[in-house]
Order: sequence, then C-alpha cells, then structure tokens
Amino acid sequence: MSWDITGIGIVSSVGGDARTTYDALCAGRDGLAPVRVFDTANYRARHAYEIDDRGPGGDRPLRATGWLLSAVAQALADAGLEEDLAEVPVLVGTTLREQRSVELWWRGGPRVPVDRLDFGTALRERFAATTSYTFANACAASLYALGLAADMIDLGQADTVVVAGTDSIAESTFAAMDRAQTLVPDAVRPFDRGHRGMVMGEGAVAAVLRRADTGRSLARLRSVGLSCDAAHPTAPAAGGITAAVREAHQLAGVTPGDIELVMLHGTGTARNDETEAAVMSEVFAEGPGPLMTAVKSGVGHTLGGSGLFSLLTAVLSMRHGAVPPVIGLREPIDEAAGLRLVRDASRPAPIGLAQVNAFGFGGINAVALVEKA
Amino acid sequence: MSDEPMARTAVVVTGAGLAIRGLTGPGDLLGSSVDGTGFDPETELRGRDLRHKDRATRLALRSVEPALRDAGLLGAGGPVLDGTRSAVVVSSNTGNYDSVCAYVDIAARQTSRAVSAVGLPHTSTSAIAGWIAAGHGLHGPAVTLCNGATSGLDALHWGRNLIAADRADTVVVTGVEPDNDVVHKLLGTRTLDGAATIVLESATHAADRGGRVRARWHGLHRGRDHDEVLRTASGSLAPDIGLWLTGARETRPAHLGTSVRQVDLADALGECGGALGVVQCAAVVAHFDAGGGGVALATASAAGVSAALTLLPPGHHPHFPGRVVRASQMTRAT
Repeated sequence: MSWDITGIGIVSSVGGDARTTYDALCAGRDGLAPVRVFDTANYRARHAYEIDDRGPGGDRPLRATGWLLSAVAQALADAGLEEDLAEVPVLVGTTLREQRSVELWWRGGPRVPVDRLDFGTALRERFAATTSYTFANACAASLYALGLAADMIDLGQADTVVVAGTDSIAESTFAAMDRAQTLVPDAVRPFDRGHRGMVMGEGAVAAVLRRADTGRSLARLRSVGLSCDAAHPTAPAAGGITAAVREAHQLAGVTPGDIELVMLHGTGTARNDETEAAVMSEVFAEGPGPLMTAVKSGVGHTLGGSGLFSLLTAVLSMRHGAVPPVIGLREPIDEAAGLRLVRDASRPAPIGLAQVNAFGFGGINAVALVEKA
Repeated sequence: MSDEPMARTAVVVTGAGLAIRGLTGPGDLLGSSVDGTGFDPETELRGRDLRHKDRATRLALRSVEPALRDAGLLGAGGPVLDGTRSAVVVSSNTGNYDSVCAYVDIAARQTSRAVSAVGLPHTSTSAIAGWIAAGHGLHGPAVTLCNGATSGLDALHWGRNLIAADRADTVVVTGVEPDNDVVHKLLGTRTLDGAATIVLESATHAADRGGRVRARWHGLHRGRDHDEVLRTASGSLAPDIGLWLTGARETRPAHLGTSVRQVDLADALGECGGALGVVQCAAVVAHFDAGGGGVALATASAAGVSAALTLLPPGHHPHFPGRVVRASQMTRAT
C-alpha cells in the first residue's frame, strides 16, 4: 500500500513558503534570534526561532491557527485543489495547540472563544472543512497525523486527506524547558559536541495525501510506523526507537540498505542525540549507510509540525536533487561519528527513498518512509 | 470503493471503567443502583503511581485500571495483554490548562527555577496517553485528541480505526476532563471532574481469548448539521434504537419513536467536554449489561459540528454488519 503526496505548504522562521524555506536551509540560513514573544528576564535561556508577526501591540492570540491556514492554503494550491474541504478530512498534529492563547487570556489578555482552542472552527470558516481532528501528539504529532490519514484512505473513508502541523511558542513550555534543561541552549546544535539542549521554533506545515495513482504526485508515502516506548515521560528509549524504525521498514517491505536519506529528529539535547545516533548507527551498520541530516538548527524545534516538516524537506530534497546540511555542525558526538551527516553546505544527491524520524514526549514514536515520485 | 476485510473491521467493546466522584461504576450513569463505595478523588487520587502527574492524568489512570479489569485484561501481576498490539487513545480538551497557567503565573513572579522540575511533560496533553501507556506496557500507537465537543466520540473512532487498520488488537480509549480554577473561569459552567475508559478490541481477538462482548461497534457519523447527522446515523436502525445518549438537552426527532430512552449525562455530571463520548460509551455498556434492549445511539454536537455513534447489543450481529462511512458521505450542511 502506498499514497501520493500531491501538494505541500510550509510557514517557518526562515520562509513563508516551502521553496523559500528549503532554499534558506540549503544556504545554511537559520531563524535564530533573541526571544521577542515575551520578556525573558526571569529565564536563563534567551533564544528561539520565532515568526515575528505579532505587530506593534505585543503578542496576540491564534497565531498558530493563522500559520496553519496559510500552510493548508499553500498545499491545496500546490495540489491544484480548490479551497473547499467539505469532503476532505483535515488531520492536524500539534504539541501545544492554542495554549499560547490560553496563557495570554489567563495573564489578562483577550478571551479566546473555547471553540477556537482546537483548529476545527478556523478550518471550517476558511475551507468549509466538515471533518477535522486536532491531535495533540507531542513532537511526533504531524507524522502521527500522516499515518492516521493513510489509514483513513486504506479503510475507504476518504480518497484525499489534508495532513498538517502547527505550533507557536508557549511561555509555559519555555519556562518548563528552562527549568528542566541542565545547560542553557542559545541555539539547536544537533549531534554536535557543543549541543546544549532544545530551542523551540514556530511554524506550520501541510500536505495533501491522496490514494496512489490518482493524478500528479510530488512523492510517494510508503509507510508510517506508529508506536510508544511506554517508558520515560520525556527521554527517548533506544528500544522503542529501534522498534519504530523496524516497523516502518517492515510495513514498506524495504531493508535498511534501501534507504538513501534519513531525516533525523535531532533536537540538540544530549539524550535525544546520543540515543538517536546510536540507534541509527546500529540500524544502518551495514555498508556506507544513507546520508543523514537534521533541520532543527535551521528552524528550531517546531514541535508538533516538526515531523512533517522533516518529511517535506525530504520531498524537496528529492525534487531539487540536494540535501540541506545540519546547520552549525562542527564536531559530531561520538555516537554519530560513523553517520554520513551532511555538513557545511547542501549536498547534491539523487535521493530515491528517505526515512523520517519523529519522537515526542511520552515516548511517542513515528517513523515514515517517503519515495521519489 | 473496496470493502474492508470483515475480520479486522468487526470491533467490539469489552470493558468500561470510571473515575467520577460518587460513582461506583458505569451502572451508576443510568441510575441503576450498584453496591459499593463511590469514587472519592480525595482518597483515591493518591499513591506512588500517581506521583508527579497532573490531575487529568491521575483521573485517567484511575479509570483505566477498572476498565482493564472489567475487560478481564488485568491479572494480579498487571495487564495480561500483548503490549506490542495494544494502543491508547485519549480525549481531553482542558487536561493540562491548569499546568499551563500555573507555570506562566510562577514565571511572572519568580524565575523559572520555581517551576517544578518534573512539570515538563504536562506542557502537552499528550502526557496523559504517555503515562497510561507506560503504566500498562502499551507499546502500540498512543494518540491524543483535543477536538472540542465531539472529541470523545472522535477518540472512539480513532481507536476503532487503529484496530481496523491492523495497528492494534486492543485499544484503551480514555476521556478525561479535570475541574479546576482555570477550567472554571474558561468555561464558566459546572464541568465534569473525572474520567472514563473504554476497552475496544477486534471481535476476533476478543473471541480468541474468550473475552465477554459488551457492545458491538456499528458506525460513527460526523457532519456539520446535527439533525442531518442524527437522521443518517439512525437510518434504518431508527425503529430499533432503545437508548439515546445526548450531548445536551435535545428534543427527540420524530423518527426515533416514543419508546427510546433519552439520557443527557450532563444533567448529572456537568459539561463533560472531551470526556463525553467515552462516558456515553460506558453508559451504553451499562445499558446492555443490565439487559437493556435495542440499538444505542450517542451524540455530541456544537456549532457547525456533530457526531453520532451507534452501538449494537452484544448478541446482535450478522444482521447489522459493521459499516464503512466515507468522509465524503458524511453529512454536510444543506
């Protein structure tokens, strides 16, 4: 079983659309800046990869919703579809939903209607969407949504599904991260000895997924493995990640040797990077192994949308024949020493089959395989 | 459109459990008196297994255990199921808002050092599913719905899909909403402070292990117009509907007939939010357990969105096979 990706959309800190974002990543440009969304006087960390669209009045509610609508509109246009989702389900993956809007209200800002705290109302107003689902599946959310969308098509519940992800930075999460991280990160440095932790990013992504062979296709989705470590609340487990990768390979009927590119989760935390690099070293122990890259040093950890963001970057790499580098990677950690990480500059390469990793809090794992159309 | 393979798409309910103040079990939802002591959050939301967890997670975990026990899936030493084929789906709209608002309050007055060192997981509602999975060794997919009024019924839909798509044999579906100051101010109404859990299984899996079937999945309809969804969902079953669990006070449409028993759970429990659909399903189990007849219908709606679940009694089958409802056939506003 496979499915076609027929349109994509991206809103990120380095670009308002998919191509601009991809070109920025390939050129090594990142969206890192001092935090502007709230006062950081009480925090140790001071940086984020924000989309600075608040306007002169300070922060405002429903920014995550706005980017979502923009990314979905881009994906529909790219797929040549009308902005009418009356008969097309929309599955949105997110970590923080509109929790930033709840915070702003709680701290004295405007009251946001309760029915705007999931994304259904906005999607209904803008696209006449009849059926939408907001999945709060942590940082694997949008790849989870992709897998569940593929299931809908398989089960005959739809022929076309829009899959998306969106998150804005919530201060509560910034505060809790600031408390929990040992070091103070001033940038995401995936798999680098200088990595100091995770830094959040903002943005949205969307893709149109269709039953295979029903028209123009940008790429083919081959499988999405979904699982849970059922272990630690925030730290990844090597066994769970390994099982998720093996499941994705098995569902698609491929072996590790078939994979030519891995989009790593790469959050820049010691726990993630060491665990993920060790598992990838083991899974791809035979032969030279695939090229690998990670995008979070370019756009930050875009949370719920990050998995689909990585997948769309793989699709763009296939179409344009170049893989963006792990921005800022100077000296890889020991666990990543044997991995073919793309460094310094984008790497021209014909990519036929890519693996995409996304791991979230709660041990929630999603691994997808995507193939050149 | 190809038909789904029946072996996988036949899904049954095999267990239900509650953690709602004063209620002993699902039977209490329909007013049948059940022996035993009602759930008391003051005493029962304690214990080592609940440390460092938010109220929503604690309530959720306290409803999962009785549901697994009810399904015959909890042995003396813990769950007796294949963890790799077991999934969890959680529905909650307001689950972690108390933590979110507490953290920004703390950070506004003090430095981030004052935020709990173990508070990070609860910045995302997905933590509830993660804790349930970890507590019971469920290694299949862990999915969290925060989808407004229909969220609980939607969670059941996704639980059913995980089985139909062969991602799991058993799915623990939990709906939970905590009551606290933030929720009270946000919603401005009396709300549920509790959780319900339903165990869904593939019919084959339940039969193979000798699990008792409590209800059979029939279909879930979703659309924009509530009357239309209600009409489509009941369809040819309308004369057979014995129980209608509404999401709010509603006038009975003529096609449902006068013998239908109509129950609005919010009357007794307050607004159930994202827990509603799962609490309704627990009430359906109680209805069939007590020998209640007919088909059961559970509905939830808000402006521009409506969902309706139909469940068949345990002994009822080939006559009403499981149905595929295509999104494109789901009801739309006319």
